[in-house]
Amino acid sequence: MFKPTNALFGGLLWKTPWRLSSPQKARQRKRLRAVDRVVDTLSAALTRNGQSAKAVERWYAEMPREEEMLPKDKYTLFDKKEKSYRKSIHKLPKWTRVSQRVNPPGF
Amino acid sequence: MSYFRVTLLRSAIGLPRRSTDVLKALGLKKRMGTVFHAVSPSVAGQIMRVKELVSVEEVDRRLTKQEVRLQRKPDPGYYIEKSAVQERSEMNAQA
Repeated sequence: MFKPTNALFGGLLWKTPWRLSSPQKARQRKRLRAVDRVVDTLSAALTRNGQSAKAVERWYAEMPREEEMLPKDKYTLFDKKEKSYRKSIHKLPKWTRVSQRVNPPGF
Repeated sequence: MSYFRVTLLRSAIGLPRRSTDVLKALGLKKRMGTVFHAVSPSVAGQIMRVKELVSVEEVDRRLTKQEVRLQRKPDPGYYIEKSAVQERSEMNAQA
């Protein structure tokens, strides 16, 4: 049964919602915490052996933890083409498998 | 001497080539695959490259493949009864 819709008529029509749902946000927080946990484990194991790794130290110096982040930074990211300079984080390609935590200061 | 127990939870399909190569270097081929590596800065750096894809634990020793499999096995819900004589001889053998 053919059902005329914009997606079928117009060719390229991306039906990605412009905002995240609350379960999506909850899962995003869960993923952020999982990454924090991995880095904490690495750091704890290295310090116990009296060693250190540059990548781990740099992460602690530059990246905020999940609980320190503002909701704005957890769910949106900077985009110069947007009116508000922010777009929802699910517009970022592979957003569930990349770390995107900091944005330009002031935006 | 402690080890990292690294399990691949998310695949690197569609991610940059470097992520796939790092997983290969760590010996992770499939999702839910587990590898053990001695704690060292170089291994930590490798894990940092794929930190969004893996879960890491610090353990005392490398488990064998069979031991990892046994940990995932559910409780069978029954146990096999033995005669007192048999149980006693087993206890003596252990002691």
